[in-house]
Amino acid sequence: MAQHKVNYTQDGGLPVALTSIDKIVNWGRSNSIWALTYGLACCGIEMMASGASRFDFDRYGTIFRASPRQADVMIVAGTLTKKHAEFIKRLYDQMTEPRWVISMGSCANTGGMFNTYATVQGVDRIIPVDLYLPGCAPRPETLQYGVMLLQKKIRANKAGNAQKPKRLM
Amino acid sequence: MAQVKNRLTPFFENITFDREDNELILNFGPQHPSAHGQLRLMLHLQQEMITKAHPDVGYLHRGMEKMAENMIYNEFMPTTDRMDYIASSSNNYGFALAVEKLIDVEVPRRAKVIRMMLLEINRLMSHLFWLATTALDIGAMTVFLFAFREREYLMDIIEGYCGARLTHAAIRIGGVPLDIQDSFLHQLRVFLNKLPENIKDYEDLLDTNRIWLMRMEEVGTISTEMALSWGCTGPMLRASGVAWDIRKEEPYELYDEVEFNVPFSDKGDNFARYRVYMEEMRESAKILYQTIDMYEKCVKDGETKLMAHAPKYISAPKLDIMTQNYSLMQHFVLVTQGMRPPVGEVYVATESPKGELGFFINSQGGPYPYRLKLRAPSFWHTGILTDLLPGHYIPDVVSIIGTTNIVFGEVDR
Amino acid sequence: MRAYTPKNDVQAKAYYTDRYYVAPQVPKQKVETDEVFSHDLAAIKAKFDVKEAFIQVGQMIVYINANDIYAVLEYMRDELTYTQLSEMSAIDWLAKDNTFEIFYQMLSMSKRKRIRIKFFINNGDAVDSVEKLFRCADWSEREMFDMFGIEANNHPFMKRILLPYDWQGYPLLKTYPLQGDEFAAWYEVDKIYGKEAREEIGPEIRDTARVDRYDSERFSRLGFEVPKGTEITGDEPRNPQEYQEEGGVFLIKKFTKESSTVIDDPQR
Repeated sequence: MAQHKVNYTQDGGLPVALTSIDKIVNWGRSNSIWALTYGLACCGIEMMASGASRFDFDRYGTIFRASPRQADVMIVAGTLTKKHAEFIKRLYDQMTEPRWVISMGSCANTGGMFNTYATVQGVDRIIPVDLYLPGCAPRPETLQYGVMLLQKKIRANKAGNAQKPKRLM
Repeated sequence: MAQVKNRLTPFFENITFDREDNELILNFGPQHPSAHGQLRLMLHLQQEMITKAHPDVGYLHRGMEKMAENMIYNEFMPTTDRMDYIASSSNNYGFALAVEKLIDVEVPRRAKVIRMMLLEINRLMSHLFWLATTALDIGAMTVFLFAFREREYLMDIIEGYCGARLTHAAIRIGGVPLDIQDSFLHQLRVFLNKLPENIKDYEDLLDTNRIWLMRMEEVGTISTEMALSWGCTGPMLRASGVAWDIRKEEPYELYDEVEFNVPFSDKGDNFARYRVYMEEMRESAKILYQTIDMYEKCVKDGETKLMAHAPKYISAPKLDIMTQNYSLMQHFVLVTQGMRPPVGEVYVATESPKGELGFFINSQGGPYPYRLKLRAPSFWHTGILTDLLPGHYIPDVVSIIGTTNIVFGEVDR
Repeated sequence: MRAYTPKNDVQAKAYYTDRYYVAPQVPKQKVETDEVFSHDLAAIKAKFDVKEAFIQVGQMIVYINANDIYAVLEYMRDELTYTQLSEMSAIDWLAKDNTFEIFYQMLSMSKRKRIRIKFFINNGDAVDSVEKLFRCADWSEREMFDMFGIEANNHPFMKRILLPYDWQGYPLLKTYPLQGDEFAAWYEVDKIYGKEAREEIGPEIRDTARVDRYDSERFSRLGFEVPKGTEITGDEPRNPQEYQEEGGVFLIKKFTKESSTVIDDPQR
């Protein structure tokens, strides 16, 4: 993972006071997070399996959307290579706010077992990440737990249009 | 958050506005729901027909061949898992077979039977996944959910065996480390008894479906010459008229003791490939029934060894390691320094669910391979899109990519 | 004085070397032992110059001259029914004698035999492209160029295939480190944010044994986790794993660990 130069306790770490508008908006947002299909490698297969018949994603209100403009959360599942790094930044920029990123699997967290020349050592060198899921590949239950944690996180934060910057870059 | 300043410029160079000849360049980008991974296709379009296609791969290149030059043979085994990540035991097996040919050990019979069971289960998993994603791309979402349900049962069996659903590393050089668990045979039998009616369900949904036939027949026809010239193997080649299956022609493991047919077709279009895959699923079920009988015969005959006996290269069974000092010392040396195969080269091809998966190992006597080349069938199946796509329409691109069964862990390694 | 590390091969070295270890060889058999192979070899020898030929692990290996490759493969494809080029690539012997060894793995389906054609080229030479004979060589030669820097003459599109077009360096050479040189290490940062961002993002953490002491302390306290950055006092309250907040969420069924059931039947 990258060395972040952000003070987490100041920017978005500690609990905030929420108004009822915040609560209603957050309730709506958390129960309908639409995921951008970003399955890059093997973790993408587990993401598809978690959206398929046995571990249904739809019961959380999550629908896989292909276009970044319509997606709330980008689940980066798989190895990010240096050739692809440019595109993940483009797609992240194209996502409309509010947006979150779940980094699924070892390769997306830290580069994983591929300690080589062509692998980005962690997707958070390029884009800010909200949730890290360990595993290689993480089980669908892990992804479900991760989505529920993300829902909790969304409900705990303010619902304003502008999200606080999560890193310096 | 305001747009963070970065160097990326808009991609206007892909869209040409003032061309006289009405040609549009469409970027079927690396992130696409039906690109089956990270395929970037640059298509030159004339209205809706494709005049030129340029596939761009490499978005999942992780440097596996270079990793192999820095890792000992056993350490590299989980990395081969991530090549064809849908049927990982087949890659493990290919690598294990290549090293076993290099060091010339004989795998005990019980391990061979277990390996065959794992291979055929992986073939079923891969074909079910292929069916699910191809049907999803064409729009038949029901088949996607059904096939994933079957796949989950198989993944339960494999998870009970080796602990992992997707990336198994269940086959080691010299045999298998684990014996199958008690519920394995029972669960497998239950699954196989239900499989024919499940396959019949899929065929009822798809075979006579007008939409499916219109999308699949006469689309993506690969002639025999093109298939041979492009290095197509596996179901792609069998659907184009050449009945070449490595399990029959150059049998490895115990494939010469089981009876199965090799389905092939001479039409070469999407529908032929679809039929070949469905029939192969049935043949895999046949092989699995026979391997269950072979396993029970092994148990009755009292064959218990699971790893080959080659003390220079392969560790002893765990019981010996924990009780005999010499086995412990040898295991320690093999794990920390790695086995040193003889100096030489080997190329071994096995029939993975996608095609001919080959491993070329050049060893110079050291614990790390000097050169390891992974021959992935999907690499050339992606290349064939250059010659295949011109003349088709945009929706055909999706169905052709679906039936060529490309998985990008293999293509890019 | 620092230890001498040879620069012509920076791959990982064996941890312990035995000075007196003589590596055994994978046995080679003479070509005469196999009928089909001896017939094929005689046919090739009649037209081309064969430097060496033997059988190893059931496949014949033939060494030819670098210039003959197109003609040899054409002859094998047309006359000897070796219709499929399974694979082609290169092996880096620059440290030994400044050459590359190129191999082509051929398959004959009618005879069920495999032959490997090999030859050596010097550093800087190019090979003739056989893309006109086998279309699969199109991509294989691009990959060889990408990984080793060996170009192919008469190739329609000699550009990198697995790495980005503007990559510098040929990864599979023995002089290229596994973790990449400086160009590789900063490639994505330079491309997206520019060189100025290198200090802000920081170097890649490639140390596989790196352990962040405070992270481990906080993370290993299962059930008593604290947010990142806070100090650990030792008397935090218990933080049980909950899937939703304490009071539950409006309209959403509250899921607790006690309310879940374990399913034993795998065929559910």
